[in-house]
Amino acid sequence: MTVPGAGVLPDVITDRATGRRINLLDWQASNRRLSWLLGLVMVALLGAIGYLLAQVTNPASAVFFVAAAGAVGAGQTVIAYWFSDQLALGAAGARPATKDEYRYLVNVTEAVAIGAGVPTPHIYVIDSPAPNAFATGRDPQHASIAVTRGLVDMLERQELEGVVAHEMAHVRNYDIRFLSMLAATVGAIVILRDLVLRWFQFGALGGRGRRSGGDRGGNRGQGIMGILLLVLLVLGPILATMLRLAVSRRREFLADATGAYITRNPEGLARALEKLAAYQGEGLQVSEGVRHMFIVNPLAKHNAVDLFATHPPIQERIDRLKRM
Amino acid sequence: MATIVVLVILAILAISAVGVYNRIISLENRFQNAWSQIDVQLKRRVDLIPNLVETVKGYAAHEKTVFEEVARSRQALMSAKDVNESAQAANQMTSALGRLFAIAENYPELKANENFKMLQEELSGVENKIAYARQFYNDAVLQYNNAIETVPGVFMAGPMNKKQAVFLEIPEAEREVPKVSFAG
Repeated sequence: MTVPGAGVLPDVITDRATGRRINLLDWQASNRRLSWLLGLVMVALLGAIGYLLAQVTNPASAVFFVAAAGAVGAGQTVIAYWFSDQLALGAAGARPATKDEYRYLVNVTEAVAIGAGVPTPHIYVIDSPAPNAFATGRDPQHASIAVTRGLVDMLERQELEGVVAHEMAHVRNYDIRFLSMLAATVGAIVILRDLVLRWFQFGALGGRGRRSGGDRGGNRGQGIMGILLLVLLVLGPILATMLRLAVSRRREFLADATGAYITRNPEGLARALEKLAAYQGEGLQVSEGVRHMFIVNPLAKHNAVDLFATHPPIQERIDRLKRM
Repeated sequence: MATIVVLVILAILAISAVGVYNRIISLENRFQNAWSQIDVQLKRRVDLIPNLVETVKGYAAHEKTVFEEVARSRQALMSAKDVNESAQAANQMTSALGRLFAIAENYPELKANENFKMLQEELSGVENKIAYARQFYNDAVLQYNNAIETVPGVFMAGPMNKKQAVFLEIPEAEREVPKVSFAG
């Protein structure tokens, strides 16, 4: 069915490359479910680590270790939920954009927000000539968009609309919340791993030696648990990171499609991505932790395919947009 | 036994009816709120015009026809009584402003004026917001109409006295509609 200028059902888009219909409401619901599931997996994982740690050192204090591991996890999650936006904006060196200074950017963002049917996000500017942008915030009511000065200078209205719409799509699809929760899981395991490794170094496991004389079978069991513990601690963060990156690459495509839907103009975003890919000047210096959030990788040579890439190849994104 | 079955069925029906009722009302609120978004932007544009006309008059006082045209459309917009009148007046104003800015191209000093540049960006911004607000309005109307025409909403629409809402016609020149189809 066609309606003048209205497009079709706002919450369903078809991925032209794969021919799959994606219902954005389902997508959002599945993102929320996954966030909860991830929280549960994380609690279980940290509980297991705490339990194993207690078995290896001092079984009597199992409750203490499980509680400690749980506390680290809970702390990370709370920080991720409430403060990840402030941390990310700080790490990227973003400052609020005033209407007087960035009238063009503010107008474009307000317009796209109206089109997307979300509240206008807080708008930030990063003082760098490299064109780039990212969004953060746990839901559309608490969203922030940060763009570089270079992006505002380089892009025309429809192109800037495309980039802003891509960022808003991330917020609207709850990608930001999911990814920051995932990052928190990795963070909690890494903290525990570092604690345990330091502990091993300082020989704090001496207690095991003293007890081992009396109970050889228990000692073997402890050995297996120790190995299991190390495997969890070492492989956990790597697997979680690879999961996060795979998810993040898929979501870039989806955000491109949603952004094109919001503006009804895939051309604008495609042209913007072309300009971003062609940029050869000074890079954007940001810490590793926030790199995956940007619309294009601040460092990448934009064509490599690898397991640890946070973004799909930019040319593939442009091709998909042009096919819409 | 039979009474219990009947009661359970009645309860299920009542709960579903409440759900459908709420959905129709919330979709209705959404498209009415979408209309007020358009209204806010139209008013904002009306407010910007006196300042713009004063600034342009400072450099091009003799371009009387276009000033009159802008003033007429402004008057029409302010006295518009319903959605359609208002949409018509808004389109009229868009083309009048388009002519005004085309004329401004002939006056380099005007184009360099800081206040004029600010007003020009503000007005392009407002035009853009109007276009997006209309798009969202039509999206919301489409969802509402679908909800009251399809099962189960269609059973409730009659008793609730809900009728189809009308789409806004968007002038082709104002917003280039790309050939996009996102869903079948």
